[in-house]
Amino acid sequence: MAIVEMKNVSRVYVTGDHEQRALDNVDLSIEKGKLVVVLGPSGAGKSTLLNILGGLDSPTDGTVKVDGYDISKLSNDELAEYRAEKVGFVFQSYNLIPTLTVFENVSLVKEISKKALDPVEMLDRVGLADHMKKFPSGLSGGEQQRVSIARALAKNPDILLCDEPTGALDSETGVVVLKVLLNMARSYGKTIIIVTHNQNIAKIADVVIRVKNGRIRSCETQDAPAAVEEVEW
Amino acid sequence: MLFRKMLRTAWNYKAQFISMIVMMTLGIGVFLGFNMEWKTIEYDTSRFFDDTNYADYRLYSETGFTKDDLEKILSINGVDAATRYLSVNLEIKGDSKKALALDVSENYTVSTFTLMSGAEYDEKGDGIWLSDKFAGLNGIALGDGLTLEFQGMEIKGEVAGLIKAGEHMICLADSNQVMPDFNTFGYAYISPAKLNAVLREKLINGIADEMREAGIPDEAAARQAEEALTDEMLEQAADKVFSQVNLRSGMEKAELEKAVKEKTGKTLMIVSKDDHVVYKEAMGEAKEGKAMGSILPVLFLAIAVLTMVTTMHRIATKEKTQIGVLKALGFKDGTILRHYSLYGLFIGAVGAALGSVLGYFVCKAVMSENGMMGTYFDMPDWTADTPAFCYPVIAGTVLLLALISFLSVRAQLKGTAADALRPYTPKKMKRSIFEKLRFFDKLNFATKWNFRDLMRHKSRFTMTLVGIVGCLILLVGGLGMRDTMAGFLDLLDNGVSHYATKVNIVENTDLEKASKLIADLDGDWESYSGVSLDGETATLDIVHNDKGRFSVIDKNNKNIDLRDDGVYLCLRLADKAKIGEYIEFSPYGGEETYRVKVVGYNRSIMTESITMTDTLADELGVGYGVSAIYTEKLSNEIPSSDIISGKQDKRQLMDSFSSFVQIMDGMVFILVIAAVILGIVVLYNLGVMSYVERSKELATLKVLGFKSRKIGRLLISQNIWLTVIGVVVGLPAGLGTLQWMISALASEYEMKLMLGPLTYTVSILLTFGVSLIVGWMVARKNKKIDMVEALKTSE
Repeated sequence: MAIVEMKNVSRVYVTGDHEQRALDNVDLSIEKGKLVVVLGPSGAGKSTLLNILGGLDSPTDGTVKVDGYDISKLSNDELAEYRAEKVGFVFQSYNLIPTLTVFENVSLVKEISKKALDPVEMLDRVGLADHMKKFPSGLSGGEQQRVSIARALAKNPDILLCDEPTGALDSETGVVVLKVLLNMARSYGKTIIIVTHNQNIAKIADVVIRVKNGRIRSCETQDAPAAVEEVEW
Repeated sequence: MLFRKMLRTAWNYKAQFISMIVMMTLGIGVFLGFNMEWKTIEYDTSRFFDDTNYADYRLYSETGFTKDDLEKILSINGVDAATRYLSVNLEIKGDSKKALALDVSENYTVSTFTLMSGAEYDEKGDGIWLSDKFAGLNGIALGDGLTLEFQGMEIKGEVAGLIKAGEHMICLADSNQVMPDFNTFGYAYISPAKLNAVLREKLINGIADEMREAGIPDEAAARQAEEALTDEMLEQAADKVFSQVNLRSGMEKAELEKAVKEKTGKTLMIVSKDDHVVYKEAMGEAKEGKAMGSILPVLFLAIAVLTMVTTMHRIATKEKTQIGVLKALGFKDGTILRHYSLYGLFIGAVGAALGSVLGYFVCKAVMSENGMMGTYFDMPDWTADTPAFCYPVIAGTVLLLALISFLSVRAQLKGTAADALRPYTPKKMKRSIFEKLRFFDKLNFATKWNFRDLMRHKSRFTMTLVGIVGCLILLVGGLGMRDTMAGFLDLLDNGVSHYATKVNIVENTDLEKASKLIADLDGDWESYSGVSLDGETATLDIVHNDKGRFSVIDKNNKNIDLRDDGVYLCLRLADKAKIGEYIEFSPYGGEETYRVKVVGYNRSIMTESITMTDTLADELGVGYGVSAIYTEKLSNEIPSSDIISGKQDKRQLMDSFSSFVQIMDGMVFILVIAAVILGIVVLYNLGVMSYVERSKELATLKVLGFKSRKIGRLLISQNIWLTVIGVVVGLPAGLGTLQWMISALASEYEMKLMLGPLTYTVSILLTFGVSLIVGWMVARKNKKIDMVEALKTSE
């Protein structure tokens, strides 16, 4: 069953006389519970795709359905509700609130989500139970990203959207983070979409989508994806 | 090229640049305005005093001065010029509500006037030289006839000239009046020759009356009386009338007192110009201007400079990468520093230029014929003068702003170009003691977030608080001043004065004659005269208020039933003796010294006084004459009498305060506007800065699914917190400032702070209003936040 369906989706940015088509007539369908990796060089349109799916941006044309709801025409408040209930984000730069402790950063989602999971359990699952009272600035990059994963999953979303989640980490830490990400997401039955330019990460995906110049060039299903431990860069 | 960059950067940070320029303009404007005001008061009034030969000293004698006395005084080494002088309040015939101070100077080199139109002064002339302002407001023109009532006599004459006199630059009927009211009270000069003619007529009439009583027929009596009048008699009458000698001298008061005593053999009451109401009030206004010029501008300038420090630091950290780029391109540190110092210089220069224009208008709003002081001072020339120290202060402030920019950027230039290219990293968060308390964990997210944000940005937090406190101080100060003044006037009208008319009695009036009038008017009375208390001049107020026509009140404004076993010191003299202790005072013009017990303190509305009952005065043997009678009769019901020197309607007196209240309202309006501008500018600037600093966090919250409204509430809640803290700190600070303002600006009155609930309510609501409006303006920006862009940058 498809959890994401995009039809004829375009996103055009206009700056003065210049027009840039970040996404150009994209059709896409993603099955529930799958790990999807979107690959492409810088400027290919992969982040725009992720932003539209996450309700951070709206398409200029076309329809985007997530779990049967058309999110392409939602108002700002409706989009905020969508982000609160349906999607979780993991960013390259973690985007934790520096003035909140690790525990508070994860607990934050209770303010907005009715189905939020227990923050303590989430932090325990990512191996940071002992760091709950620390501030983000007291953690390493990998630890910060694990907090970010715990926060994203604590909302109990249907889809986890990850934008270069290992982009700021070394290979070893990156693998640890990916492992946590996959274990957590799979144990909670979540659909994961990872956007990256790192070809190596594609090995672990169920589906690999290649994007270039705002268009989808290929969409491959991998029957036997590699284990996370096999990945290195 | 770099200049173009500066202009574009200024545009990018327009809220910060504009608010800093506004703060600087306000700071310089208020600083310059108030300092120009007092300097102009000093300059304009001193010039007018010089032009009109304002006396340095006034000598008073109840028995008057003879020509011989004057010669003796003139013979004192150090006395440059002196004149026998008369200044007496008279009513205008046919209009009991209008009165004049009539002045006569025998020597037209002391206490003279400036002619505005008409004939030059003539010491033998028959005309009247009348105050041009009084003439203008009462429709009197040159050549019009005027009849004045003088101790039962009439002085008739034509208006020969319209004038302004230094002696009456602040034209008050008596010490009860606070503001001049030229509709009802003015002044006029006549020549000594005309005064002689009036005295001559009075004497002849007196002699003729006696002859008629002796049975001599009318015509013969008039003729014979004229023949009977001798020069000596006329001279004696004049001696009695001239109860004052005005002189010009550079001597010290004590030196002059000693010399006068040696030459004349009398201890006379000598009032230096520093204690004469006109000079004292004018210099008092200048002093008040100086006081205003030292606190308000300091508040504004300090906030401007502190805002500059906070804002420039933030701009410099935001510009860190650009500074790195310039450095990497090969620009020397000196060039980059010069470039960024120009930001402060630019803000300072524009602010100083606009502030100078504002300062000029602030000064003119106060010191001009149509300005606030126009109703107080009556003088011919109004200029605008700047104290010399203002120029270096303004230049110094501009340079200080440049220095702040310089230091802010220098901190970012430390290290290599690569260091500079790295984005600014905020300090690591640490748990404060407060956060270690158990209950902190139970607080909700918004509270924790706002608390930590404030702890992380202490300078922004402090500055915001200073802005709110400053705003509240101005509001409480301004509105509280008005309340206090209204309370003071209410006290004067209803708490102290229970009469309809105050009847002033001619000096040296026989007690028997005065007693008859007191009985006729069914009034209470008081006697005031000058005494020396510890070498300083005070008023001895002897009162008889059995009928309750006026009250003597305590510091809580409650009526005191005066005791007969001691005196009451006014609150300003309270430091002279404790209750139960004894004071000694000596009346001027005599040799006696009296020792009396202090039995209480009273709030004296106007004068610095020692108050006692007439019973105690009689017991001690203090000599006195009735100075004023207070009656419930209206002024037109009181017949003319040769012992009445003037009548003052209570309503008329209270009305004379209306222009004073208008000035007060003007000042309150300025303070309220300044408070609102200050609040909006400081809070908006810091609010925008806070928003920019937190944009990444706000974007994160939005990405997580927080709605714009909820984030807006989060931002506004911080403003509410700060406003609550600001109110808690600002209210006592405002009351303290108000108390200081009252003592600095109205030290001549014993005012009590009286703030109505409305003032507290309006001040607090207005502060909250400003804070909420600014919070809302900033929170609105949150709707337009670009989540994708904001999250691109990394910390």
